[in-house]
Parts: sequence; structure tokens; C-alpha cells
Amino acid sequence: MNTIDEILDYAIDQEQQAADFYEEVAKNAETASMKKILLDFSEEEKHHKKILQAVKTGEHELTPQQEILDLKIADYLVEVEVSKNISYQDALIIAMKRERAAYELYTDIAARVPEGHLREVLDGLAREEEKHKLFFETEYDERILTDN
Amino acid sequence: MSLRDLLSPFYVWQRAFEKPYTTKRPTLDRPGAPAYRGFHINITETCVGCGSCHTICQNHAIDMVAVDEYVGRDGDSGLRPRFDYGRCCWCGLCVDICTAGSLRMSNEYAWISEDPGDFHFTAGIDDKPWQENALGYRRAEGYHLYPPKRITMPMLPVEESVNTFDEVVRGYDKEQAKKEADRCVECGICVATCPAHMDVPDYIHSIRDGDYEKGLQLMYRTNPFPATCGRICTRRCESVCPVGILGEPVAIRWLKRFIVDQVDKKDYPRILNEPIGESDFKVAIIGAGPGGLSAAYYLRQQGHAVTVYESRASAGGMLRYGVPSYRLPDVELDKDIEHILAIGVDIKYDTEIGRDISFETLLEDNDAIFMSTGLSVPSSMRIHGEDHPRVLSGLQVLADVASGRDPGIGKKIAVIGGGNVAMDAARVSRRLGADVTLLYRRRISDMPADDEEIDESQAEGVVIVQQAIPVEVLDADGTERVCIKWGEAKMVDDPKGGRPRPVLQEDRMHTETYDCIISAIGQSSDLGYLSSEVQDQLAIEWGRFKPVEYQHTMMEKVFVGGDFANRTADAISAIEDGHHAARGINRFLNPDAFIKAEMQDE
Amino acid sequence: MTSLNRHTLTGHSAALDFSQPEPVDLSSGKYVKLWQGPQHPGITGNMSLELTLEGDTIIGCKTHVGYLHRGFEKLMERRTFIQNFTVVCRIAVPEPTFNEYLYSHAVEELSGIEIPDRAVWLRTLNLELMRLASFLMWIGGQSGAFGMYTVPNWTLSHRDFVLDLFEEMTGARIYHMYIVPGGVRAGLPEGFEKRARDVMDSTEKMLGQVERVMFNNAVTKARSRGLGIIDPEMIDPYGIVGPNARACGVARDLRKDEPYLAYDQLDFDIITGHDCDAYGRAWQRLQETRQSIDLIRQCLDRMPVDGPFQADMPNVLHWKVPAGETYVKAECTRGEYGYYMVTDGSEYVRRVHVRGPSYTHAIAVMERLAVGCNIADIAGLMVSLHTYPPEIER
Repeated sequence: MNTIDEILDYAIDQEQQAADFYEEVAKNAETASMKKILLDFSEEEKHHKKILQAVKTGEHELTPQQEILDLKIADYLVEVEVSKNISYQDALIIAMKRERAAYELYTDIAARVPEGHLREVLDGLAREEEKHKLFFETEYDERILTDN
Repeated sequence: MSLRDLLSPFYVWQRAFEKPYTTKRPTLDRPGAPAYRGFHINITETCVGCGSCHTICQNHAIDMVAVDEYVGRDGDSGLRPRFDYGRCCWCGLCVDICTAGSLRMSNEYAWISEDPGDFHFTAGIDDKPWQENALGYRRAEGYHLYPPKRITMPMLPVEESVNTFDEVVRGYDKEQAKKEADRCVECGICVATCPAHMDVPDYIHSIRDGDYEKGLQLMYRTNPFPATCGRICTRRCESVCPVGILGEPVAIRWLKRFIVDQVDKKDYPRILNEPIGESDFKVAIIGAGPGGLSAAYYLRQQGHAVTVYESRASAGGMLRYGVPSYRLPDVELDKDIEHILAIGVDIKYDTEIGRDISFETLLEDNDAIFMSTGLSVPSSMRIHGEDHPRVLSGLQVLADVASGRDPGIGKKIAVIGGGNVAMDAARVSRRLGADVTLLYRRRISDMPADDEEIDESQAEGVVIVQQAIPVEVLDADGTERVCIKWGEAKMVDDPKGGRPRPVLQEDRMHTETYDCIISAIGQSSDLGYLSSEVQDQLAIEWGRFKPVEYQHTMMEKVFVGGDFANRTADAISAIEDGHHAARGINRFLNPDAFIKAEMQDE
Repeated sequence: MTSLNRHTLTGHSAALDFSQPEPVDLSSGKYVKLWQGPQHPGITGNMSLELTLEGDTIIGCKTHVGYLHRGFEKLMERRTFIQNFTVVCRIAVPEPTFNEYLYSHAVEELSGIEIPDRAVWLRTLNLELMRLASFLMWIGGQSGAFGMYTVPNWTLSHRDFVLDLFEEMTGARIYHMYIVPGGVRAGLPEGFEKRARDVMDSTEKMLGQVERVMFNNAVTKARSRGLGIIDPEMIDPYGIVGPNARACGVARDLRKDEPYLAYDQLDFDIITGHDCDAYGRAWQRLQETRQSIDLIRQCLDRMPVDGPFQADMPNVLHWKVPAGETYVKAECTRGEYGYYMVTDGSEYVRRVHVRGPSYTHAIAVMERLAVGCNIADIAGLMVSLHTYPPEIER
């Protein structure tokens, strides 16, 4: 992974994999309503993918300097297992944790490359993943942590 | 005739050289005094359309007219006063009675128009030059045409209440109730806001008349749980009561309770005397909570054979197993339930659908089913160590106490959560002799719990730590204790709007040891008794049912209601769901008769 | 009543001859029937006098009322207790606040409401200002009735200055609607006291001018001396009250006899006269106007500046006043004004009877005094009795 294009391709592929993952879970989900939620997640990932594709063609710019709110909800939750009667809470936890892992990955790599354009792209990708995590964390805060 | 009397009158000439009393030009504008009672101003944004101005106007100069902009607003009738200056006498009583303080008068008093229709105008809506006038008549500070303050409710003193499960709120006596009932302006905004659309102004009127039997009849028309709701209702009516805009809202809930308190249970059959119709239909109801029993009550009146299936040993659902007896004594809940059963509702206790009878059998054997099984599964925090045996659920603690079992909480405990279940668990724990700390991730002002509950629990010695996010449960020394690690939160504005969100500050962590931790962060529905095929047919969304009209689901015979079908998750909404579903079931079973009955009602 | 008995028993005093005059033969051509009023007869108000004349001299007078009848007493039976206070002021146009006060006072008495001290003083000030305004209007009327139109310009201007004060204090010039059951509607606005004192000073000065121009006046004296002499024997049987009685030397004033509001804390004496004619009554009223100014100053000096001005009230939208009856009274510029009220415990008053002093003065007394007058003096005589027709026909 040396060129920026290669990195972007990797990231795009990651988003596609995430979309595939949710589709797979949806396939096994027991109830129609949960299926729908998981397919919505999958759509969200495909949307992320499109943004990255737009970055690659130069139609969209990454924002490496942008400050993204980190609610730090995902950081302290337990790992949950994917199962066919997965609850909405657990699906959200999985989603938050995946976004968090991706964010950490890009941040780690960025720290290892010298300052420059490449590093900016990696930082930008990290910010993107942080945004996605915020999206799911906000949802978790709104819908799951109602009485808390 | 003296000479003086002849000469003295010529003194008038002296005035000819003095400043005249009159103004030089009669057309000169002379503004009215600063508090002049001139043309009306209405701040329509503040006005809620209670219509008190219309009621008090002795000239019938005020009509309440619908203003599109405000129609459909919560706590707003959508009406605004329209003035007829052919009738108005500018007494200003409308300004004096205005509950919102939105109505006032300008000091403008000259208005010329060739069109008589002009003098019929909606203040604040029809553009008038004096609307922004800073001068004119305002109600004076300290002048009221109704008592703005509520009659204080007698309560058990805190020193006593914290040691007993006796009811904290003692109830009004007749004198107090009459005085409190007197404060109602009879606008009816509460009726629109109440999920069950209870006829609040009329039953309050019956208190003023001392006719409690009529009050009871009025309440049972829309709510067969008046003793219960008179104690623990979430009372959205009071939050929209216009008397509360400048003062304190009418204590609608306590007045409801007062009526029930005045009537002996043995007189219920004579007073209510519900006619029971004739029908061959059989209806099953799953869950004997407020939703299920409300449906049962109204369905039974149609003559259907109604059977309620309840998994526990007693009826009432969360009202019995969730709400502690210091808020709702069992005897009061029983007063409601026993009357419902008395009109011929059959109830099967300790019968769980899915275990003792399958849902499919029930569906087969009945003409319609109403499901209202509520939210019975405590939500999990999903933090590390949560499965520690000393982490208890709030629902379990409350159910244990309600059933007379010792929940074994210990002496020093932490409650997690900011909802009513958390408050109940905390206050119950205080009564069991524990020191209680309540951890909540947001601010007290963000708590979903009732304000009174929050105040009372603090008065009873519950220590509320706000902006505390639990992150991990740890083992403590010995199996009887448990540690919780929590971090302080900073409230950060959400860039996308919405309420501020708590963000954990990782450098501000605390660890504390307790005898137990009671988790009360929410609850969800248990749909285990429904097969996934049935669940799919019912079209459940976000773990909740989404009924179509009249609480009907996508399944032909199945109706739903209560906490697992509405967003508000309170007793009064469940009661209304039950009532509404009863009408839906009647419509479903007997469409012709239903339409006829509806037309008669109108 | 006792005096009536005494007179009827002891004799046939000419003053108490209630017999009707012999009907006259109009066809004889010796007599003329003349109607004065009701189409705005200027100063008699909206009532009419059916006069029988022999030459210039009135030999018979019959009063006709009802032209202003609006049925206030009945209207009140169909309005709630709070709504009525906006109706009652209309019973006496130039002096509405006595109706507001007495109505409110009757309701308060029947419902056991005690008004706070500040409301007591504000009411006293309001009533005394009202007396002043009413007297000023009357002086103008009396002077005009005798053909002198300069004085009305002065006094009515000053009445307007008093109305300015009312406008500031109450929000309206004529129908103040300020005294409400339970207290008053507001405290005094800022700077009111200073402006009130200024008006008092200038009015007092003006009254001096009036005295020189109207009272030390050969024409006034010629026309009013000996006009409409009220025999002191008539006082009780005819129910004559207020300045009409006091001008005859009868010291009768409710503010002193049965003090209400803050009158027992004010320093004043009952003014009495000794001339029983129109001039004597005019002089009496001039002195009482001055007394009003003095009382207003005393009110301004002594009244509390803060504190509540309204008692704790029930919700007026469904206010039920306990069953009962009461008669309350106060001394207006024409004498005893009274409200008799009966309640039945409902949201509406069962019956209200308004006792306006004009009833006796404008009907019985007028019919009696008119006989023997010159036709040119009839307006002056009517005004000298100070009557307000609307309070005759409530």
C-alpha cells in the first residue's frame, strides 16, 4: 500500500465488505423487521463507499483537520456475537465497534507514514470512519440509552 | 343688591389674559394614558387559545376562531380571540383573565374605517398598527381573577415517608379539593392532550358541585383506572393546563384521585351500572395490565365473552409489580381492577401464552385477540462485568418488593438510570434501609423521570450523581459486594441539533464499591411467545408494534396496545390503547352495529 | 318614618300637603300645557316635565321618566358576579364609581371578602375624586342654567383634568371600571400623586374665581334666591338627602354617620347651610367641592404606597356567592346611594335594587317645588336639585 489510490481502493473495498457483512447477517435474521434494519445498515455502508469513490475521482474532498465528536460509547461496550435473533442494540454495538476498528486502523497507519499528502489522506479516512461511528453512536444514544 | 355683586362678575375678564384651558387645535393627537384601555393586542405566539376571554366577556364580543398557523399545536386549541368592536365595551376583563398573559390593550383609541366589517378583527393576526404598541392596559402585577397557586397537597413528612411503604401523598380533603377545582378555567385543552381524552373540566366541575358520583361516571367513560391514574398518571394534561403558564397548573391528577377517594367501592355497581350488551363473540386478551384490562372493560360492555390471560398471580401488570405501593397502594389498584372484573370479565392467572397455551390455539379459539404484554425485559448496559451476581435489575427489585419478597440489596447501593423505574428502585431501596447513590449519564434536567419523583427521591436522601457514565463492573472483596467504575461526562452540543450529548472524560474515572448495583436503564418487550412467522405477520418495527387504525395489526384478528405498541409507555396511553382497541374490535366483529353506534354518538 | 308620622298626626303643614292639584280646563284658554324635554333638554337630562302654565307661572308639574331605561337591575340577574361590575357604572354616567364601589362592596360583604388596606385607600381616593368631578360638572350646569356660560367652561375643563387623573389611574375617563369585587385593579401609576396635587391646586384656584364670578353675582342671586325653597319639614317625608338636605341645616352625611372605607381616618366635618333655596344649595355644593379637594389631599398624604390591592379571590369564572341579602350605602354628591342585593348561592345575583338619590329629588321633590315657579327658572330649579335621570330608571 504505497500509493494513495491503492489506499483508497483498500478503503472502498472495506466499505463493500462491511455492506456484504450486514447483508449476510440480514439473510439469517429471524424477523423481517430486523432484516430491514440490517439492510439499512448495509445501505449506509454502500453510501460510505460512494463517498470514497468520489474522493478517488476528485469529486469529493476528505477533511483531515475536521474535529469529529467522539461520544466514546463503543469504547466501553462488550463484544457481542452475531446471531440470528440479534437485537437492535447488539446490531448497533457491532456497527459502532466496526467503525471504531476502521478508525483505529487508519490512525495507526497514518502515525507510521511521514508527514505529507499520504498521511493527510489516511487522516482524512480516519475522520470519515469517526463520522460513521458518531452516526451509530448517536443512534445508540437516542434509541437505546433512553432511560440512561 | 350690593355693588360688589354687580362688579364681581366682571372678574371673568381676568381669565382672558391667562393661558386657555383648551388645546389650540382640536385635531392635535392626544395619546391615551400609559395604561389606557384602548384597542386589543394579542401576542398570538404566547396565547394558547384557552378561550377564557371569550367566557368572561359579558358582551359576547369575543369569538374564538381557528387560526391555521396554530391548529394542531400541542397544548394549543388552535383558536385565537376575534373581537367585535360593535359589541366591545373595553372593560378589559379579557385582559385580566388571560391565562397566558398574551392579551393586552394598547393606548390607541382612534380608528376610522368606512367598512364596518373592519371592526371585527383577530388581534395579532390581522395586521393592526397598534399591535407593537408598548403602552396600554396590562394586568397589574398582583392582580388575579383566579388563584394562581395550587392548593398544597398534604404529604407524609420525609422523615416518616422514608421508613414506610405507606402512601406518601395523603390526598385532598373536601374543602381543599373544592378550592383546587375552583381554579379550573374549563378550556378543555387538557381533554385534547390526554391520551384517553378524559373529560377533565366536567369531572372537575362535579367536584365543585359536590356530585362525586357524577364525577366517577364521567371518568369511567374513558378510563376504568381512575384510582390508579389519580395517583400515578404522567398527567400530560397538567403540562398543558393554561393556568400553569403564569401560575401552577390545576392539580388534575389529585382531583381525579379525590373523586375516587370519596366513593366507596361497594357503591360502584349502583353508580356506574354499565349496561352489558348481547354478543356471541369471544375475545381473548393477553396481559392483565392497564391496556388489557381497559380493553376487557369496554369489550365486556358490548356483551362479548372476554377472557384475560395473565402470566403472574395477580392482575395489574406494571401497576402492581412495577409501581411501588407508597405511590399506588394495592388496595387502590384493586378498587379499579375489581370493578372491571365485576362486570363479568373472566381472568386466568398464572397462564402464560406460549407455555401453557400456544398463541396459535388462542387465535383459533377466539374471534379476536388483544395483546398488551408491555415491556418486561430489562435492558442490558452491555458493559464489561455486567453479569456479576450483585448487579440486579430494577424491575426485579420492584417485583420482589411488590410480591413481599426480600430483594437482598444490602446497605449501600447504586442505581443506574434516570427514568421512573430508576427513581422507584432508588426510593424503594431507601425504604429498605439502604444508602442510595443514583448514577445518571446526563443532567438531572434531562431525566425522563417525573420531576416530582426526582424531587421527592432527593428529599428522601437519594444522592443523585449526574453526568456519570458507568464503564465497567468489577469484582470486589467478597462475593457480597461489587465495584463500579464510572467516568464523568461533559455535555457537548450535538452539531446536528437535538439534546446535548454526554461525552466520557477518560481522565476523570471513579471506582466505588457497593453492596449491589441496580440497573434501571430501560426495558424492552418480550416477544418470545410469538413465533417468528407471527412476528413477521404483525410487522413489528424497532421492537414495537406499529398498529394500523384502531390498534389493528396486519394480522386479521389481532389488536395490540400498551407500552409495546406506543412510544410514550405510560399507563394512560395503555388505557387509551385498550379502549381504542375495544372499539376497533367491535368494528371488526360487527361493522354495521359499530357504524350505527358511532353515528348515534355524533 | 317617625317624622312622617309626627307630621301626619300633628297637622296640615303646607309643606306636607300631598294632595293633587285640581285638574285644569285647558279648553278655557287660560292655561297652557308645556313639555320640557325629553329631547335633550340640556340640563334636566333625559326626562321630561309636563308643565301646566298660567301665564308664566307653573301651576302644575308632572314628571315623566323612562327615556333612559336600560334595565340594569334585570341585566345583572343574567350576568356573573364579575361581569356585572362592568355594567353597573353605567347607572350614573357622571358619577359611575359609586356604583362600582357599592356593587363590589355588596358582593364582598355577601361572600365574606375583606379587602386589603391599600384597596380601601385607593377606593376612597377614587370616590372622592369622583365627587369632585361630579361637583365641577354640576357647578357648570347650574351656572349655565342661569345663562352664564363662562363658568361651565372653567369647571368642565377642570373636570376634564380630573378625568385625566382617572384615565391614568384606571385606564378610562368615564367608565373607569376600577373598583372590582375583591379590591381595585391596579395601584397608582408613577408620578400620579404629584399630578393629582397640581390638579387640586389649580381647581382650588379656579373655585375662587367661580365664587367671585358666579356666587357674588347680582344676576345669580336674583334668579336663585328664593327659588325652590325646601321646607325643612319636607326632609324626612320626601327622603331628601345629601347637599339638598344639608343646605337646610340637617347634618346628615354617611361619610360621618356611618363611616365606610377610610373616611373614619380622614379629618373633616359635615358642612351645613341655612338657606333652603337654590342659592343656598349652590353655596353648599361649592363648599363641599372644596372639602373634596381637602379630602383628596388627605388621601394622598396618608394612603399606603405598597402592599396588595386585591384580596385573595376565587376563580371568577364560576364564582358562587353564598345566599344572603344586604344593603350597602355611600355618600355620593347627591346623597345616599344604596345597593340592596339578594343572592341565592348561585353564580348569578338573584336581585339587585339600586337606590339612587335622584329618584326622590327629581320626581316627588321636583313636582312639588316647581309649582309657583316662573317658567324661565324651571331648568335652574331642576339643576339645583342635582339629579341624574339614569339612576331614576335603573
